[in-house]
This record gives sequence, C-alpha cells and structure tokens, in this order.
Amino acid sequence: MTRRKFVQKLIQTGSAIIAGTCWLAKKAAPRKFVRAIKVKNYPGSLRSLRDISKQSKWGG
Amino acid sequence: MCLIEPGQSGECRVRINIDGVLRTVVYGFPCSLNIDPIEKKPLFHFLPGTGILSIATVGCNLHCLNCQNWEISQANPEDSQVVFCPPERLVSLCRESRCLSLAYTYTDPIIYYEYTYDTAKLARQEGIRNVLVTAGYINEEPWRKLLKYIDAANIDLKGISDDFYVRICSGTLKPVQEALVLAKASGILVEVTNLIIPTLNDKDEQMRELSRWVKANLGGETPLHFSGFTPKYKMQHLPPTSLKTLETAREIAISEGLDYVYIGNVRSKEGENTYCPGCKSLLIERKGYTILQNRLKEGGCPDCGKEIYGVWK
Repeated sequence: MTRRKFVQKLIQTGSAIIAGTCWLAKKAAPRKFVRAIKVKNYPGSLRSLRDISKQSKWGG
Repeated sequence: MCLIEPGQSGECRVRINIDGVLRTVVYGFPCSLNIDPIEKKPLFHFLPGTGILSIATVGCNLHCLNCQNWEISQANPEDSQVVFCPPERLVSLCRESRCLSLAYTYTDPIIYYEYTYDTAKLARQEGIRNVLVTAGYINEEPWRKLLKYIDAANIDLKGISDDFYVRICSGTLKPVQEALVLAKASGILVEVTNLIIPTLNDKDEQMRELSRWVKANLGGETPLHFSGFTPKYKMQHLPPTSLKTLETAREIAISEGLDYVYIGNVRSKEGENTYCPGCKSLLIERKGYTILQNRLKEGGCPDCGKEIYGVWK
C-alpha cells in the first residue's frame, strides 16, 4: 500500500468512527420535548355541539 | 417513548409524523364535552358539590384491557365524530355554564397535551381552575410544564408492580410513580385512584404495598379511591369487584396510615363519606355524586378543628 492510500484509508476509517459515534450519541441522548403542531382539518367527521348540561356516559 | 415513522401515528393514534413534523390531529376537536359533578372524576377534596366542564379527545397512550372508556380511548380519529371547540371557546363555555373548573379527562389529557396546555393557560387567566384526570404515563419535562397551570389531579395508580402495567396496560410503573411524586411536590391537590380487578390486583398484600407506597411517597393526607371494576372491553370474563373486597382494601389503607380512603363505583355508606382523621366525626356525607351535608368550617373539622386536606372554595 502506498502512503497516499494509507492516509486515505485512515481518513475513511476516522470518518466512519466519528459518524458512528455521533449516531450513537444522538440515540443515547435524552429526547427533548417536542410540541406537536395542530392540523387544520380533522380526519373524522364533525358534528354540532349538543346539550352539555347532561352528565357524560364516560367514566371519570 | 414512541418512535414514529413518517406517515405513522404513535401508540395513542392521534399524534402523527407528517413529513418529519409531529402533528396532533385532535387539537380543538373533543369527542366529549359535558358538565359532570366533580365527585365523578373522582375528586372529593376539591370544590365539592360543584359542576365541572369535562372534555376529552379520542386516543390514549395506554391500552388497558379493562378500560371502561375504550370506545373513545382506543378509537381511531378517522372513525370518530367530534365537535370543533378551540381553547377560547372551551373557556367561554365554562364561563357561560358558571363552572368553576375544567376537567381534562375520560381518555387521557396527556395525548391531547397541547390542547390541554393551551386551554389550561387561558382558563387560568380567567380564574377558572384546571383539573387533570390521567393515568400519569408521561415524561418529566412536559409534565412539569403542564403542572404550572393545573390546580388538581386525580391520577391512577393502576397497580403496584411493573408486571401489572406491562401485562394489563401496555405500560410501565415507574413513570407513573414519578409523575405522582412530581404532581404532589408541585403543590397541586392530588387524589389517587386504584381500580381493583378480581384475580389481578385484589390481594391483601398488593393493597397493603400500594397503600404503603402512597403514604411514604405522597403523604398520608393524600385521598385514595378504591374503585370497583365492572367487566368491560377485553375483560368481560372477569366478575365485578365485590363490596367486601373494596371494604377490605379500605381497611388496609386506613391501617397503613392513610387519612382519606374511599370506595367508588359501588355503593358503600362509609366509603363515600369524609371523616375527620383526628376525631373521626363525619365531615362530608355523600350519596353517589350528591353531597348530603358538608360540615367543614373554613376547611377544618367543626368538632376538633383539624385542618382537612383539600381545596374547599
């Protein structure tokens, strides 16, 4: 192997190690809280507001 | 934590990755909007006898096999019918109905977090109190942010083992316990609910361990509600919880030093009432969600003067 090729290999290996380390560090780092953005249109169907004074049938 | 691929939703079904951006499809679109008695949450130590405007969207980040609200908690947003009610409209509805408080409930406010947060912030500005009814399955950072606008919470402690949470709820125990501790430490009023399911979490030693955990980590003054299970969703093969089991749970919790222990979903004369932990006199008598009498004086026992944990006005 020539010196030039050796240096190229060294740079490639070093880059791969750095890229791998960054990827691992990103994976290991605690996730930051991300606020979700609201969508404009609801994917299901809309209805009008009914009488809210009646107790809900749901628990809680 | 969900890792959501583009075009997919998280476990809750309502938070979606669209082109690398996290979106909530339920913001401003509740599937349920009603005025309930506050005792239904259940909250027994917060503004008793008042009506609370209660909302929910579809979805949930847990998948409890016994969920009594599974028709909305496990629903897909595209299959559900909702109303359009942005935060400003919710707050004005609350004002028009003369409700003192707003509850984010039925499914879990954690999955409609942004809607809860924005509404709670607005409501606080208008002097309306905010109540969460939640399973508490949330990370610390968003929980701390939200708690700043919350006045009270009923948080489920569904079981006292990780195995129970994994098998029955598709979750884990530790985040819930941490959320409970953080909620109490933040100064909001906290009440805890445990649903007793026959054969799964109804052993005396489990109730004892749960009660000890509440006493040690949240304080003996923290109200604990033992709720009776009714066969629902994927647990229709189990029997409903007996009154005897619930009464035993209550006795155990009281013997472990908890001051206020209640029985829910099943009629129980003593289990519905609030008694002074000092002199044992009857303070608040209830029948279902109705207050029959409230003897509290300035938040204290009228007989021995002991201060009673709660927000009474």
